[in-house]
Amino acid sequence: MFLTRSEYDRGVNTFSPEGRLFQVEYAIEAIKLGSTAVGIRTSEGVVLAVEKRITSPLLVPESVEKVMEIDEHIGCAMSGLTADARTLINHARVETQNHRFTYNEPMTAESCTQSLCDLALRFGEGDDDLPSRPFGVALLLAGYDESGPTLYHTDPSGTFVQYDAKAIGSGSEGAQTSLQENFRKDMTLKEAETLALSTLKAVMEEKISATNVDIASVAPTFHLYSVGELEEVIGRL
Amino acid sequence: MKLDLSALLPDSIRPKAPIDAALDDVHLPGPTGANFPLPDVADVDSFERQVVEMVKPSHGTTTLSFIFQGGVIVAVDSRASMGPYISSQTVKKVIEINPYLLGTMAGGAADCQFWQRNLGIQCRLHELNNKERISVAGASKLLANTLFSYRGMGLSMGTMVAGWDHKGPSLYYVDSEAQRIKGERFSVGSGSVFAMGILDQGYRWDLSDEEARELGRRAIYHATFRDAMSGGTVSVYHVTKDGWVKVSGDDVGELHYHYYPAE
Repeated sequence: MFLTRSEYDRGVNTFSPEGRLFQVEYAIEAIKLGSTAVGIRTSEGVVLAVEKRITSPLLVPESVEKVMEIDEHIGCAMSGLTADARTLINHARVETQNHRFTYNEPMTAESCTQSLCDLALRFGEGDDDLPSRPFGVALLLAGYDESGPTLYHTDPSGTFVQYDAKAIGSGSEGAQTSLQENFRKDMTLKEAETLALSTLKAVMEEKISATNVDIASVAPTFHLYSVGELEEVIGRL
Repeated sequence: MKLDLSALLPDSIRPKAPIDAALDDVHLPGPTGANFPLPDVADVDSFERQVVEMVKPSHGTTTLSFIFQGGVIVAVDSRASMGPYISSQTVKKVIEINPYLLGTMAGGAADCQFWQRNLGIQCRLHELNNKERISVAGASKLLANTLFSYRGMGLSMGTMVAGWDHKGPSLYYVDSEAQRIKGERFSVGSGSVFAMGILDQGYRWDLSDEEARELGRRAIYHATFRDAMSGGTVSVYHVTKDGWVKVSGDDVGELHYHYYPAE
């Protein structure tokens, strides 16, 4: 499959004659190995739901963190190499705080996403503070700002696109189809919670439970659901 | 005697006075500034630095803070002065770092505002990274570390970091010399001696909330009465386990008639 790529997939910033950057494409492949994450935007706010792979009964489920708070009004779900995501999230947290310092107002979700994508493209420059390879992670950014609730998707190529509903990770193909069939513009936040979780349930290998999924909402502030709240949503399925 | 206003007239009609004669009794600097009187010392530059150092400390402010059974009280005046000139009567000298942390302003207003907002960033990032609010000890140390890295570079700050954390009420004094002291009561600024007199006299650990707030208010009021560089309004903040609240903001003129009613 990769026969034609052999010459041009070494240097991270070398185009192939067909105009492709193979290392970036491989990084996008890495995401497809990650656990599934789903984001849905409603008029009330945005819901993020992620699958947590509990690979061993001895693993402490709470230590797996795949939804994180960037600022009060921006949340983030990830899929792929989550260690890379931590670098990105730390960057976003510093950026949003610096924005508050300079402008005395919260950063818009779009600006925050833009700033993350600027960083995502700055690999392989030889700078000691930057990675030598693309980030192997995709993010779903849920925000609530002056333009209302927003959902952005970013990938290792530094591209970002806005969505009403988006799935990333290993089950993303099936999940995206299911979202396309079931998403409505007039959904309530509660309906979005149910849709997000039922979409995850359909693509997860293991039986869904309060320990192997996480839900967070940004409506209008970030909130990570407690076990009790999770069980309530699971009960609705 | 007739005032000589000829300098105000346009060049064309100004009388051609014998300027050289007038210059004889006035010691004006020449174009090079060569006859400007300089202090009679060997090294002018280091002498000036020393002088600046002597007049620098926390001019024109009274701020105070103390911890007691019911939390932390922070009380401040609101006057800003530039030498003898009162430049503002409405300065916010309590800096709200976050809902559980307050800082006070004495010394350079910009230095305090900037570095305490910077501290606000660091505290928020700590909260996001550790999923837990920073302790007052931690926050004050972040500020002290920042100030240490700028030590001797001309910053001027005398600040108190007050708040409520997992250990209860807590209070630290941090200044631009990077000194950091934990304590139960502090007062900073030119009026601090007067405020401290009232505070020491009236302070007990088991003060009720209302008594404590009144003590803070009274101490600042008396400082504004005796210290010409303090005045404006007295603001009182109270930090409890639920975060800070602004209790009062009273004009010192009105407080004066409250404490000393006209006969």
